[in-house]
Amino acid sequence: MTLGLKITNVSKTWNPDGPDPVPAVRNLTLDVALGEFVVLLGPSGCGKSSLLYIVAGLEDATDGSVTFDGLRVTEPSPERSLIFQEASLYPWLTVQDNITFGLKIAGLSPKKQHEAAERLLQLVGLVGAGDRRPHELSGGMRQRAALARALAMKPKVLLMDEPFAALDVQTRARMQGHLLNIWESSKASVLLVTHSIDEALALADRVVVFTARPGQIKAEIPITAPRPRDMRSPEMIELARQCEALLGEEVEKSFKEQELT
Amino acid sequence: MTDETLQTPLVANRQESFGKRLLRRMEPVLWVMASLSIFVGFWEFAWWRGWANPLLLPPPHIFLANLPDQFRFFDPGGTRAGALATGGSIFSVLGVIAWSSLRVTVGLALGFMLSLAIGIGIRYFRIFGKLVLPLVTMLAPISPVAWLPVAVFIFGIGNPPAIFLVFIAIFFIMTLATLSQIDNVPVHYIQLARIMGCNKRQIYRHVILPAILPELFVTLRMNLFAAWMVVLIAEAVGVGSGLGQVTMMARNTFNASLVFFTMTLIGLTGFAFDQTLRYIQRKVLWWVGPSNVGGL
Ligand SMILES: Nc1ncnc2c1ncn2[C@@H]1O[C@H](COP(=O)(O)OP(=O)(O)OP(=O)(O)O)[C@@H](O)[C@H]1O
Ligand SMILES: [Mg+2]
Repeated sequence: MTLGLKITNVSKTWNPDGPDPVPAVRNLTLDVALGEFVVLLGPSGCGKSSLLYIVAGLEDATDGSVTFDGLRVTEPSPERSLIFQEASLYPWLTVQDNITFGLKIAGLSPKKQHEAAERLLQLVGLVGAGDRRPHELSGGMRQRAALARALAMKPKVLLMDEPFAALDVQTRARMQGHLLNIWESSKASVLLVTHSIDEALALADRVVVFTARPGQIKAEIPITAPRPRDMRSPEMIELARQCEALLGEEVEKSFKEQELT
Repeated sequence: MTDETLQTPLVANRQESFGKRLLRRMEPVLWVMASLSIFVGFWEFAWWRGWANPLLLPPPHIFLANLPDQFRFFDPGGTRAGALATGGSIFSVLGVIAWSSLRVTVGLALGFMLSLAIGIGIRYFRIFGKLVLPLVTMLAPISPVAWLPVAVFIFGIGNPPAIFLVFIAIFFIMTLATLSQIDNVPVHYIQLARIMGCNKRQIYRHVILPAILPELFVTLRMNLFAAWMVVLIAEAVGVGSGLGQVTMMARNTFNASLVFFTMTLIGLTGFAFDQTLRYIQRKVLWWVGPSNVGGL
């Protein structure tokens, strides 16, 4: 039995029987080891989100298989938690109730829920904000609350779909540092999608560059530099140049395709 | 609000901030007054210039002049087609208003709960949905007024047909609104619930229901006025008591003053209803900002 996430020959076509089927992912194979931080980088519309939905179990692959810790993924589970670009906290619940939503569903006692909430608020730096409503929080705070909500379920994989894309640059940098701390202490694997090369290089153990649609793996770039990384170091600048070249080609392609259609 | 209350400087200071607070709270009310004054002003002016025949369009200072005289026409028991021999009182007026309000309230409550239940049922149980939805869609465009004879055939005279009509006036619209609200729940909300281990029932209970309630309540509020119109028609035709009956009686006896007096009451009551629903919405369903339909 292999631990971790195994994506084997996965293809995904949207509307396969419709008038114009959309091949989003084609024949993709990717493994994410236990505790590994993998970042997906690719042109817009190349199927990154589609892949995350499949891994989360929200959508079925058209072909191929996803296994986690040796078990085939067929439905969503708290151990593979997904975080969206927009925090999508439930507006009718307080921050604390949002964070403990999954625990409540799991039937934990209110006391246990409360303890967990305290611990998680501490962890993501939201102490004292538990009684607030989501709309009273800033974008960064909301995203931290969403992270706490995912962590409450003790996930083994965090799937993150452009989690910081809606934040300003400063908040974004802080959030990245935050995420690294949490990741290091939680020992979960992370599969994170981003459009930002800098973000990819700052976070990843391995950057996976996608081709234009249908998404396939174009290149895998391991990064061994210790964190926190200095983006201005020659090594990082060289890696950034590499990523930019790889990504540039694919963005070009996907634009050409869009012009054709 | 008056400036005669200025006292020693120290107290005056506190008074001023209190006065300011009061003024801020009163501001919406002042605008309502201003809005009304313009309307009443034109009307009174038209009367003063002799454009408006006081027998047909008596201005407010006439139809509000002799209240006890108007009160005599109000009988909570209803069924009477004329002034009471002995003078009515403000209580008989309130009684009449209470009857109309009760019919509207019960009809709205029934309509809201049943449409919510049926709407959710249509989406939750597929076969039930396929069987019921076409029926709802076909019945929805029928005006509540067209249901009036049906209401009388089924329920005869009294409260039930009026309540039934209010119910009909909102039920189909609200059922369709429930469906559209369910379909518009952000897909992320549901995906997250699934990830966090919710089954279908839990998704409906913990995510879809709270997500759709505020907007449905807004829809209910917007249909409040339709409900009032219907209840007045029902009262005029089939019930024999309430504000609708008084209006009809006033019309039959060419009592223009009474017509306008009753219209004033209807307007005020409808306004109070809307404010009450807004209040409930703010307190209970706070997570969608209070929408601004209908002012204030
Ligand atoms: N639910 C869906 N139904 C039909 N087609 C879809 C659906 N979701 C995505 N697609 C299509 O699949 C393709 C890949 O979409 P996807 O969202 O996975 O791309 P992405 O790499 O996440 O893009 P972006 O970087 O812009 O978020 C797109 O052409 C999109 O239109
Ligand atoms: Mg995407």
